[in-house]
Amino acid sequence: MNNAQGTAPNRPAQSVRVVIVDDHGIFRSGLKADLDASIQVVGEAATVEQAIAVIARERPEVVLLDVHLPGGLGGGGREVIAGSAALLGTTKFLALSVSDAAEDVVAVIRAGARGYVTKTISGAEITDAVFRVAGGDAVFSPRLAGFVLDAFGTAPADIADNELDKLSARELEVMRLIARGYSYKEVAKELFISIKTVETHVSAVLRKLQLSSRHELTKWAAERRLL
Amino acid sequence: MTTALTRPPLVRSTDRVIAGVCAGLAAHLGWPVRNVRTGMALATLAGGAGLAFYAWLWIMVPTADESARRNARRPASPIAPAVSLTPAPVTAAHFTGHAPSAPLWGMPDAGASAAGVRSSAGASGAAVPPAAVPPLAVLPGAGDGAAPTAPWFSVRGVRYGKEILLGTGLLLVAGIMIAQLLGVDVPLGTLIPAAAVLGGAAIAWMQLDENRRAGLVDKTKADQAGGWGRLAAGLALVVAGVLVMVSGSGSWEQTWLALLASVAVLGGVMLVLLPWALKFWRDLEAERSGRIRETERAEIAAHLHDSVLQTLALIQRRAGSEHDVVRLARAQERELRGWLFQDPGKEAGQLSDRIKAAAAEVEDFLGNAVEVVSVGDTAMTEAHEALVQASREAMLNASRHGGGTVSVYLEVSDGRVEVFVKDRGPGFDLDDVPEDRLGVRESIIGRMKRHGGTAAITSTPNGTEVRLGLPARHPDNAEGRL
Repeated sequence: MNNAQGTAPNRPAQSVRVVIVDDHGIFRSGLKADLDASIQVVGEAATVEQAIAVIARERPEVVLLDVHLPGGLGGGGREVIAGSAALLGTTKFLALSVSDAAEDVVAVIRAGARGYVTKTISGAEITDAVFRVAGGDAVFSPRLAGFVLDAFGTAPADIADNELDKLSARELEVMRLIARGYSYKEVAKELFISIKTVETHVSAVLRKLQLSSRHELTKWAAERRLL
Repeated sequence: MTTALTRPPLVRSTDRVIAGVCAGLAAHLGWPVRNVRTGMALATLAGGAGLAFYAWLWIMVPTADESARRNARRPASPIAPAVSLTPAPVTAAHFTGHAPSAPLWGMPDAGASAAGVRSSAGASGAAVPPAAVPPLAVLPGAGDGAAPTAPWFSVRGVRYGKEILLGTGLLLVAGIMIAQLLGVDVPLGTLIPAAAVLGGAAIAWMQLDENRRAGLVDKTKADQAGGWGRLAAGLALVVAGVLVMVSGSGSWEQTWLALLASVAVLGGVMLVLLPWALKFWRDLEAERSGRIRETERAEIAAHLHDSVLQTLALIQRRAGSEHDVVRLARAQERELRGWLFQDPGKEAGQLSDRIKAAAAEVEDFLGNAVEVVSVGDTAMTEAHEALVQASREAMLNASRHGGGTVSVYLEVSDGRVEVFVKDRGPGFDLDDVPEDRLGVRESIIGRMKRHGGTAAITSTPNGTEVRLGLPARHPDNAEGRL
């Protein structure tokens, strides 16, 4: 199953195994009820230690990970990802948060999460996001796209720029449309490209967000408390 | 106190010739400015008394700005009136009294919150440098100088105690000098050292109070250096005074020996008492930080009480109406987010704030969520005001006809502003909108055009998007407002 997922389409053709990590029991059960039947919740955890143990045991395809978690060294979701580093190739992390703080979001994305959604997201949307992440793509909420645009600037990259420190003109266009509330499908239609190409661009942006050594990025995130 | 309160507070006016002292004094006393200025000038001719009085007030009286900043309070919770249908109970009013004037969150030492608690007492004494007062120069006006300072001085404890003390001292000095002028023999050789000792001790003791207040008012403790300087000055005065008094009776050699012996004794005593003093100090610090934590906790409790608990109570009462519950929850979420994450250093009233406020208004009004994502920011101009109004109209339309979550995206880059308002409703054809419907045509398109901006509407069966743009140039001077 794990072998197949790298090329799996974003359709719920098969069930996806998911672990939910959140310290609020009410939220976990609410989320479980909201998720599509094709998503199989194989484990739950409320603390950093529990999460690392459950993820190592169940080896889920996707972990729905709260950014703020008790336990461990206080690193929250970031620490869970770091503690599951060996599985990072096969287990994908989707960050889930009520926090508006850019530093929280950027920290968990840079630790290796494949996407970030807010907790007010609907059941259908989160199901879609889970399949997308399981398929190896990145999930950007409008707010995360806004973070990215703010962090990387809204001017396209020159040839002289470090490739990781700027977004290409096309990536900027995609980010802008996502920030405006467009779905991937709508972005594809608007730009006359395929959904696959949109996904490629979003993944490229995620990679830049994770790998950019742009020193402003961390500083920016720490200084910027709210967007 | 009663007369003081009916008068405007004594502050240095911005309407000034030199430092705004006369204008401030005139406003405070209710006299014409001209008279005060003339009086001051005349007094200056009388042996420079007016000059000294002026200098005294210049030093002691804060400017209007400073005074306002000190009395500034954090505004009350914005959601309380928006959400709660019942008037805030008495306890809430009691709690909001603790609202700090300083940013509450991420406060390293709670000096600021404690200052907030005391802010009503007007802890302005920290700005007063007692050592800077020229004691011999101020003669006749000194006594008066204390009284007008009343309204901005602390009302706790002995009212204006310090001022009265200083004034009395200065009057005493004046009396002695006058007596000497009249030919009375005053034993200056004894009086001056004694006065030095007293003055030094007073300065050192004042330090205790000043220091504490400085710590509360200004958590950066920028005053610390001044405090140490004051302590050193007081110490020097006392030692010099004692030396002069003692040296009158013996030779310098003896005096030095005695001084050495006293220092040795003092050192010994200090060595013995140091551990005890340290322990005492540590206990005091622990108690202080405990009190600070307590204040902070009370602060948070007060806020939660005012906002979250009230909203939860309302939600329970209106559990039947899904629309109301969602609306209340959204409003409360917004308010709490603002409280938790708002960057206190960020300038308020910028374009993004205004767009977010408009979104909040629409959200409250129609109940559908309006998500705002903003990149960049700019200060408001008249054209931006029009943009906010047009955006608000677009959000209202989107929320009313789209019927779901409305996405708003604001981007400011190089002065150019773009706003996108998107919904997922069934869409409409602009040509089908009757001419007399002002919403879209006038409030959005017309308004943007009048301010040199652009407005475009794309509508498909999957949703409608309104795109508003404002070019980079400042419309104040370039673009015509037709």
